Amino acid sequence: MRLQRLAFLATLALSSVSMFTLPAAAQVTVKMWSIDGDNGLYTKLAEDFNASQSEVVIESRLLAFDDLVNEALKAFATGQAPDIISLDNPDFALFSSRGAMLDITDRVANSDVIDTSVYYEGPLASAMWDGKLYGLPKATNTIALFYNKDLFAKAGITEPPTTWDELLEDARKLNDPANNVYGITFSARAGEEGTFQFLPWVQMGGGSFKEVNTPGAVKALEIWKTLIDEKLASQDVLSQGQWDSTGTFNAGNAAMAISGPWELGRMAADAKFDWGVALLPTETEGGPRSSAMGDFNLGIFANSQHPDEAFKVIEYFASQSDRLFPEFSNIPARSDIPLPATGDARTDAALKVFQEQLQYAQPRGPHPEWQKISKAIYDAFQAALTGQMSPKDALDAAQATITGIVG
Amino acid sequence: MSRIFNSMRDGVGFDLILVGAALLFLLALAGLPLVYNVLMSFQQVDMFTLGTLIRPWAGFTNYVDVVRQPEFWLVAKNTLIFVFASMAGQFVIGFSLALFFAQKFPGAATIRGLFLVSWVMPGLVVGAIWSWILAGDFGVLNTILKSLGIIQETVFWKSDPNYSIWAVVIANIWLGTAFNMLLLAVGLAAIPRDLYEAAELDGANAFQRFWTITLPMMRSTIGAVLSLGLIGTLQQFDLFPAITEGGPANTSSVAGYWSWQMSFQLYDFAKGATISVMMFLLVLFASVIYVRSTRHEVRG
Repeated sequence: MRLQRLAFLATLALSSVSMFTLPAAAQVTVKMWSIDGDNGLYTKLAEDFNASQSEVVIESRLLAFDDLVNEALKAFATGQAPDIISLDNPDFALFSSRGAMLDITDRVANSDVIDTSVYYEGPLASAMWDGKLYGLPKATNTIALFYNKDLFAKAGITEPPTTWDELLEDARKLNDPANNVYGITFSARAGEEGTFQFLPWVQMGGGSFKEVNTPGAVKALEIWKTLIDEKLASQDVLSQGQWDSTGTFNAGNAAMAISGPWELGRMAADAKFDWGVALLPTETEGGPRSSAMGDFNLGIFANSQHPDEAFKVIEYFASQSDRLFPEFSNIPARSDIPLPATGDARTDAALKVFQEQLQYAQPRGPHPEWQKISKAIYDAFQAALTGQMSPKDALDAAQATITGIVG
Repeated sequence: MSRIFNSMRDGVGFDLILVGAALLFLLALAGLPLVYNVLMSFQQVDMFTLGTLIRPWAGFTNYVDVVRQPEFWLVAKNTLIFVFASMAGQFVIGFSLALFFAQKFPGAATIRGLFLVSWVMPGLVVGAIWSWILAGDFGVLNTILKSLGIIQETVFWKSDPNYSIWAVVIANIWLGTAFNMLLLAVGLAAIPRDLYEAAELDGANAFQRFWTITLPMMRSTIGAVLSLGLIGTLQQFDLFPAITEGGPANTSSVAGYWSWQMSFQLYDFAKGATISVMMFLLVLFASVIYVRSTRHEVRG
């Protein structure tokens, strides 16, 4: 009896204490899923947001890159989806096209913080579906041509190549098997990275992800094939990712490399030579430009209980765009934010080129079945590069698959 | 009442409890996922129906679609090459090592134990190491083969469609040999020594002793090792993403990796399930052999 009374009193005391400490107006918790890595960007910005005000709390969960979409699909199917998710841009349409993401077109139009006119076209397009905006790019990146200025001078080449034919010619001049130097390196891997590298060539050749067998695209694949057949690039580009591939450039074993701004930090430290970055060469002089576009989009799930609070979080992330580069080495997806100098002249010059290249960056898709389109594309260039099919036949086969998907 | 209780402690009831517990365990942890997987292969699955059990019925559409995929026959061929080449390599090298270490020489048991290091290592680590060894331009294997004069040109193990599946096979043989050796060594140790002594007295030479004593006495062990090898090889996954990612042009993709790719890279869960059901039929075949070979053991 005594014990029960004690327990009752204790419970009463505890509950009054907890009632006292919690503010009367309950805070709204917004769940946010994103990837780990990325220099701690999500964790830091979520902490800063939570410290900046007392109404909304971000509950951040970090997932491995490979698990993110699968976990999100499972969570959405069982009604456990978070409020906000950060998705790799080609995966975004998988959700937005099926009504899983909240249409934020009007909210963005009425927002004092977000002005879509300053965003690059490509990143913004990747967050759109059917003319409506379902998310906002967190940051962006693209690919361009790195070149070893020392090896160029040695081969008597003064300017980086501007057309595909020049690229091929320069690769022939730079190729030096006796000293273990390949003309160029890139990634033609059987995966998203491979499509990321090849699709810009298709687009410069007058094609798109819906139309991959244009004459220009076939010519692009023939040039890739020549690079490998003449051993101007290592055959291992078929299995290497961009990071490993560019590693051979940094080691001086390739005179050119196609990759993105994420390489800059490592290259500034590792490369024992003078290097520069040029825009991707076009099919013909002054021909249409294009490039790949990477990075993540933030979106709100349609069945979120707190869409207003979640949108505040997205506004906060947009408002912190000027911190993206200095603190997290991310390039903002907008043209109105100047990148501060890094103290390394080569890096600063390279960033200017990447910012110019970004204006031509095009999204992969958006399409709900992007992953299958992507597989058709990388299966095609791999079949051609390994000599199992001619470039034309391979791209025709890919086109048949893609037509079946996009209708 | 007490009769039932007694039978539960010592009798038919006790047997039933043991069998029941095992069956319940199997049903919950193996049976249900299996049935769910088979069910999924006959349904249309997308992100809205992922969490439900009742989905639109698809009949054999998924099966027809999978067989019609351009890479289907290539993957089937690769799977057969991978399974049989891996098993043959693992078994022959494993058996040779087991016979070698069965000879009594100083340190035999210790060195045999050290071989298990390869088996203890996680597949992804093994894959990463072999990925470096097999690299085309700067790989150790090419350097050794070149300096020995066996090859003149660089062999791109991971990127040449003629070799890519063999790159994974080599890594898998290295990974699985120790396991084969261990099981076969246990089988060898169980053969009574007096059989060999008697045969020797009768004038049987080493080959005859191996052919007429070792092999017949090892029959059930060999059956078990081979079927476990088949199951283990079909289940091998880690090496593929680490070494070739199924490329180039699907020339090193096998059923297990393809199924994973369908489900978790292309998000076509129904087709992923379909491929794994097809694989299951193959494993079932191996399991029957395994069960038959161990049944023999119980009688003996």
